[in-house]
Amino acid sequence: MKTTLQRACLAALLFTLGCNSTPAPATTPPVTTPPVDAGAVVTRPPEVTPTPVTEIPGHEVLAQDRTPKEPPRLMPAETLIRSYISLFGGLSPQALQVRLRGATSDNLFDTWGDYLSALGVPDYAVDIPRAPQTNALMLAAFERIGVALCERAVQNDLRGAVATNDRVLFRFELPAGGRALTDEEFGARFDVLHRRILGYPAALAPESRIPRFRALYQGAVTRHADAGARSFNGPEAGWASVCEGLVRHPEFHLY
Amino acid sequence: MRWIHAMSAVALLGAVTAAARPADASPTREQYRLFRALSIDLQGRIPLPDEIAAFERPGFDLDAWIDQHLQGAAYAERLRRVYLDALRLEVGSMFNFVSNPLVLRRVRVIDPDGNPAYVYFRRAQRRDRVESDLDFCLSPEETGITVAANGTLTGTAHPIDRAAWNQRTVEVRPWWLYRDYRSASPSQRISAGDGSAMTLSPVAGLLMDADNTTPTTTVRVCREEAQTADRGAVYLSGRLTALPRTEPYPGGRVTAPPTDSAYARAHAGQMVSCTSGTGVSLSDDCGCGVGLERCMPGNSLGNDPAAFNLPDNVPLGADQPLDSRAQTQGDWSRFWWAQEAVHFLDDLFVRDRDVRGLLTDRGTMVNGATAQFYRGFAGSTCCGNGTQFDYAEPAALFDPARVPTDLTPHDLATWRRVDDRGPQAAGLLTTPIFLAKYGTRRARAHIVYNAFLCRQFVAENLALTPSTEPNLMVRPGCAACHAALEPLSAYFTRVTESGWTFLPPAAFPALNPACATRGGNSPNGGCTSFYDPAFGSSAQGMLRGAYGSLAHADEGPPGLARAIVDAPEFASCVVKNVSESFLGRSLTAEDQPLQESLVTSLRSGGFRMRSMVRALLRADAYRAANNLASATWREGATP
Repeated sequence: MKTTLQRACLAALLFTLGCNSTPAPATTPPVTTPPVDAGAVVTRPPEVTPTPVTEIPGHEVLAQDRTPKEPPRLMPAETLIRSYISLFGGLSPQALQVRLRGATSDNLFDTWGDYLSALGVPDYAVDIPRAPQTNALMLAAFERIGVALCERAVQNDLRGAVATNDRVLFRFELPAGGRALTDEEFGARFDVLHRRILGYPAALAPESRIPRFRALYQGAVTRHADAGARSFNGPEAGWASVCEGLVRHPEFHLY
Repeated sequence: MRWIHAMSAVALLGAVTAAARPADASPTREQYRLFRALSIDLQGRIPLPDEIAAFERPGFDLDAWIDQHLQGAAYAERLRRVYLDALRLEVGSMFNFVSNPLVLRRVRVIDPDGNPAYVYFRRAQRRDRVESDLDFCLSPEETGITVAANGTLTGTAHPIDRAAWNQRTVEVRPWWLYRDYRSASPSQRISAGDGSAMTLSPVAGLLMDADNTTPTTTVRVCREEAQTADRGAVYLSGRLTALPRTEPYPGGRVTAPPTDSAYARAHAGQMVSCTSGTGVSLSDDCGCGVGLERCMPGNSLGNDPAAFNLPDNVPLGADQPLDSRAQTQGDWSRFWWAQEAVHFLDDLFVRDRDVRGLLTDRGTMVNGATAQFYRGFAGSTCCGNGTQFDYAEPAALFDPARVPTDLTPHDLATWRRVDDRGPQAAGLLTTPIFLAKYGTRRARAHIVYNAFLCRQFVAENLALTPSTEPNLMVRPGCAACHAALEPLSAYFTRVTESGWTFLPPAAFPALNPACATRGGNSPNGGCTSFYDPAFGSSAQGMLRGAYGSLAHADEGPPGLARAIVDAPEFASCVVKNVSESFLGRSLTAEDQPLQESLVTSLRSGGFRMRSMVRALLRADAYRAANNLASATWREGATP
């Protein structure tokens, strides 16, 4: 406390020394004007002449990219929801909500109304415009609904006794007995999901895509090797992870 | 710069053009991307597996596929989204549509047998008893309870005398319970509904009697409200002055009995329309019509009581709601006003009508709910102080006689086109949702200027100085915008603000000697409701909003529609709005050739959108859109 008081006194002293000794009127503060040095000449700062980039040392042969940049469009929120619904077999939105919420209390999905604003759906009644580009909340919403979609699809398709052609998303068989997939077997199944979600064969994607998703799959399989009956087993967790990776892939939300 | 853009696009297109795919070649990644983009834009979703399989087959004709999908609901929705994003045609509860001539609130009383019962009534109802005129039909002395204007109940209910019960109230089978409510003996009771907007779904409280166990089959309503006549005689109570508050009001009522207005005294016995608010306030013959179809039910005494279950969110359309909950009677109207705009736009785009019809079309789309609104609800906000100008019969923007009579409030999924609403109708401009969304004349003019001419008002760089100049077209600092805005807003002079009541020239001349200023003072109160003292003179008053242009005031919204669609910017604005939506970016100077070619396509196609959208989807700008990353030129295109 003593130190604080000393500092306050010192500040007051310095302030007093720095002020004009003429006391200011008590009621109206003085109007201060900047001091004018009679001997000084006011000049404008020199203008900087633009220098062509090619005259900057080291830039003589540096190519310039002056092409228009047109980033991908964000899929309209209505289209996203409709696409999302179609991925799950074309149920009505409310029926899908019931499926996504599930019978358990795992809180995978809340209600559509909880996500609409984050997904960028405009609210004309209160003049909230359509979100033209992604933001952090939107990406989080993509993540959340993507997880719900893929996990429920795994439960429906891979855990249930559903014929392959009747499955909503994972329209392929898993090897019997939990045998590990070969690269070729993984690639064929991954292609089913890739075509369904991103709309083109995995073989046409950048070269690194299949290996990276293969690694993602394998990591989930390994981590879930000892999962209990209530959790996904290795292949189920692996395919859920792959599905989630595709559903939240930029190529899904942009076009 | 333009050549750079063109060259890069051309170079890219060498690998992109899907339509020219050799019959035996597999699609490239860019061709898949284009097909997916087209599916998103024309089908409203990503392509399904069988659609991708069809696309991959040899000989797939992408141009034919585009033509096939330039029609139908998804295509219409895509274009509708362009204009709804611009116009935002929905209103929330901030637009409070609680019209007392419409709203049937209900009171819980004790019937003669000692059982709880609901009695429905409306606050604006005239009755020939001083104890209940403009109030609940059973007096506090008869019920034991007092119904305050704010909806609170006081007192202790006691059984109502049977004679009074039978004399003051009747049982009705109302429209919200019976599909065949117009028949002599309604019997087709509706089901509870599925909560979607496609079936009438009254809130639970409207489906159960006051004992909360018996399903409601009839409702008890005050006798006056149950009347069905279309017209009634102006009622004269004989009360010329308000009763003094020094002694209790008759029957224990807590509000002063109404007195006869000057209009009622002058027009006693004359017939007035029961669909106008003025008619309801003047005649005790006016009720809610057959099956109470001219009134909205409410499950309480509240100001805006709950009525029907409706969705909150319908981004995929009213037929695919994301949710549903109990909503108020005001929400019901607001929801269907917005749906009218949706179906108006869809109809225009599906049928590929002239896009100028957005503003000029005298027709619209109606379903059961909006037909009910136009037949029985719209006039309830008319005519207020208009009676001073002998205006008691609304001259509607949508002539109720042109509303299909066979559409009942239950026909929610049935939308039908009415080709001609009447001479004052002008596309979206005279729909309730537009007039409610944009409540003022200037707001209406501004959004039209912005959305259909793609122009904006920008203030000049000028220091504002104090001014008493009422004419904003000349006031310094205001003139830069208002010189253009005021003449445009004058087109809405004859449509009341925050409403849809039309003010016909016969009753409301733009210049009215009867509303002249008197000795520099404002004219009487009735005049100032409609005439602006700031622009009046000792010779005549001027209708509010008309000072920008008297000619525009008399042309009305149809005049504005003609002026906008005849403007040279209209076609280019249509192209700009649609192109920017499909390309997902603003048009730039490099896009001028594209924009000009699309304007030509639009004009040559008779202002029908389909040919223009087809040209856009086949343009290099769309096919190469959003693929011009910084690495593009390094991959072969010329920088």
